[in-house]
Amino acid sequence: MNIELSDITRRFGRNVAVDGVTLDAGPGVLGLLGPNGAGKTSLLRMLATILPPSSGQLTLLGRDPRKPSGRREIRRRLGYLPQNLGYYPSFTVVEFVEYFALLKEMPPHLVPKAVAAAVEKVDLGPKARAKLRTLSGGMLRRVGIAQAIVNEPELLLLDEPTAGLDPEQRVAFRALMRDLGQTATVIVSTHLVEDVGAACSEVALMSNGKVVFRGTPEELTTRGVDGQGVGDAPLERGYSAVLAATRSAS
Amino acid sequence: MTAVALSRRGPARVLRIEIRRSVVLWAVPLLLALFYFDTFRTAAGFPAVWTVRSSVITDHMIADFCPFAAGLAAWVASREGRRKTSDLLATTVRPAWARQASALGATLFWLLIAFLAGVAALYIDTAVQATWGGPPLWPVAVGVVEVVTFAVIGFTAGALFPGRFTAPLAAIGCFLLAVIGLHAAGGVKPGTSTYGLLSPTTNVSLGDVGVFYRVAPDVAIAQVMFMGGVTVALLGLLTLAPAFRVSYHGLLAGVSRAGRWLCVAGVALLAAGVAASVTAFSLVGTAHMGVSGWEIPALHDAASDRPVPYTPDCAGTSFTVCVHPAFSAYLASANAELQPAFAEIAGLPGAPVRAEQVASGDGVLGSQGLNFAGVPKPGVSGTPLVYYFISDDGLSPLWDIPAVVGPGFQQNFLTAFIAGPPRVGPGPDAAALSPTAAQQAVITALMTAVGSPAPQWGEDMGNGGPTAGATPAQITAAAQRFGSLSSAARHAWLAANLPALRAGTLGLGQLP
Repeated sequence: MNIELSDITRRFGRNVAVDGVTLDAGPGVLGLLGPNGAGKTSLLRMLATILPPSSGQLTLLGRDPRKPSGRREIRRRLGYLPQNLGYYPSFTVVEFVEYFALLKEMPPHLVPKAVAAAVEKVDLGPKARAKLRTLSGGMLRRVGIAQAIVNEPELLLLDEPTAGLDPEQRVAFRALMRDLGQTATVIVSTHLVEDVGAACSEVALMSNGKVVFRGTPEELTTRGVDGQGVGDAPLERGYSAVLAATRSAS
Repeated sequence: MTAVALSRRGPARVLRIEIRRSVVLWAVPLLLALFYFDTFRTAAGFPAVWTVRSSVITDHMIADFCPFAAGLAAWVASREGRRKTSDLLATTVRPAWARQASALGATLFWLLIAFLAGVAALYIDTAVQATWGGPPLWPVAVGVVEVVTFAVIGFTAGALFPGRFTAPLAAIGCFLLAVIGLHAAGGVKPGTSTYGLLSPTTNVSLGDVGVFYRVAPDVAIAQVMFMGGVTVALLGLLTLAPAFRVSYHGLLAGVSRAGRWLCVAGVALLAAGVAASVTAFSLVGTAHMGVSGWEIPALHDAASDRPVPYTPDCAGTSFTVCVHPAFSAYLASANAELQPAFAEIAGLPGAPVRAEQVASGDGVLGSQGLNFAGVPKPGVSGTPLVYYFISDDGLSPLWDIPAVVGPGFQQNFLTAFIAGPPRVGPGPDAAALSPTAAQQAVITALMTAVGSPAPQWGEDMGNGGPTAGATPAQITAAAQRFGSLSSAARHAWLAANLPALRAGTLGLGQLP
């Protein structure tokens, strides 16, 4: 297992963002669904070693992120795309991706080839020398994805990766996620259930800091067939049915 | 090549990206314009004497550069907060201090390139014009340390308080700091508190400091030590900052995350920096004025008190005019001013046979009665009689650009001969008195006779001196009367009455 979470909790003052989550995941694409404020981003930030958990046991890529040596090794093999991608407008696409490749301590002789490959994978080859300030929102999202995959991560964490992408790019990116999921653990936090249906082999649904559903997209779809869920697509109906059941239970 | 050797090139490549995309590049044209209009043009208005020209490095360049250095560095340091890249960067392997070091390194790279390019332009221009000496390096060292210090101050502010307004506030703050430093430096006088010497603006004074005597590097060393200490202490603070940032985990947890070795390094840097600054601060407190400028006993090398050997440049035959080779450009003008004046007084009792430039200190030294071993005081003295003059008379600049001596030069010569050493008024607040009305009239007449414009006399300091009651119109009328005499008649009258005229016992009515 690349990810092992045991009773993980994260508090911000009195607010409990993640409440006793237990989760494990191996290679494949895991979709993290949930309404706003469900705790997806907090969970993702803990997996990205940005936030330490308030309590619980967290093991990533077989290492304990609380130890500096373990954290260092995890980060070397980690890719992360935050919800709001910060960037330096004066950098070119290649420079930005190269900058992160170097900060991830990739061997310098491998960096140029890895950067070129990552930029090509997100279809930004023609814009490789363009300054980031000249790019559209969708292109910037693709730059963010490129920096996340440049080190061929074994653990890839993507927070709303397809937000701002056009349909063609979204389809291409789902294919990329499926491809990366062959060897790596890809965790995708998203509101777009069609992304989950198309790209994820598994899905976890969060509500109020807890994981309230874990299964395949097909299993989630079946939760909506009894008419409890609302939505246009079967997966949306399953999603809303699970949430409705959770709310009524609490 | 081994994998380790390869991975070590990583930081250099990060630095290269930072250098290529540094925000300082945007400010370079503005810095160059400031340099040209303020520093370079000011220097071009000074005599081509190395120490005088180099004084603009600390007096002008630093004031121009430092607010920019602080503001730009703060802008770079606050980048992660402003651009919201903190989360993304937190997932990378390289520690925050290494990342910040690259950003600071790139900022300093361009700032120092711009600063040193300015110094090079200044020194090349001086080298083309200077007739003696070489480029002083201490002002450059002080300037470099100062630019680095202000940049680190700005960087620390930006890193600790990453906001949109941090950079302009850092720039304004550093500008005010420079102004306060300028005031503090201006207030330093012998016998008063000398802590203002820590301001770099006091490094080199105008005049002929560094020409007859070397400029002692004592104050520059203390300034470098003080500013270097501030820089090192701030770097220590920056190193410690991540440990304290995880505040809700408590200090110990924070220390554990940042790495104990990093904390130890931070504390060591902070302590070393504070120690260096405190030492420098206490050292300048012991400074006193000497022949080579401000001296700090603990740092002073007595060898710098010895006069710098030189061979004067001279002109004229019967009456020789000699200047220090650093002022050779002014020799022709000085000779042209003194020869006709000498012709008027040649043969009179007490007339000098030579005029020679001597050390003036920096204008402060004379008023302190500082003893220049073996150096005559300005005026006519010695055997044979020599008129000793200095590069600055303490009232107005004697030297000008282009290389001609000022209008007071001839007047000072005749005043030294006719009136002798400056008279001092009575009482505890004694002030130098100007020549008596009769002496003023004679000097005016002699200058008019050789075709020079009538001199401007300063106000008599009162005290019941011999000019009391004489109006400028009366003095002018007496000067015209005396000047209308033939050269031989003036010469004969002066030969007979010079002792009484010098003694100040003659009134205007007694002039022919």
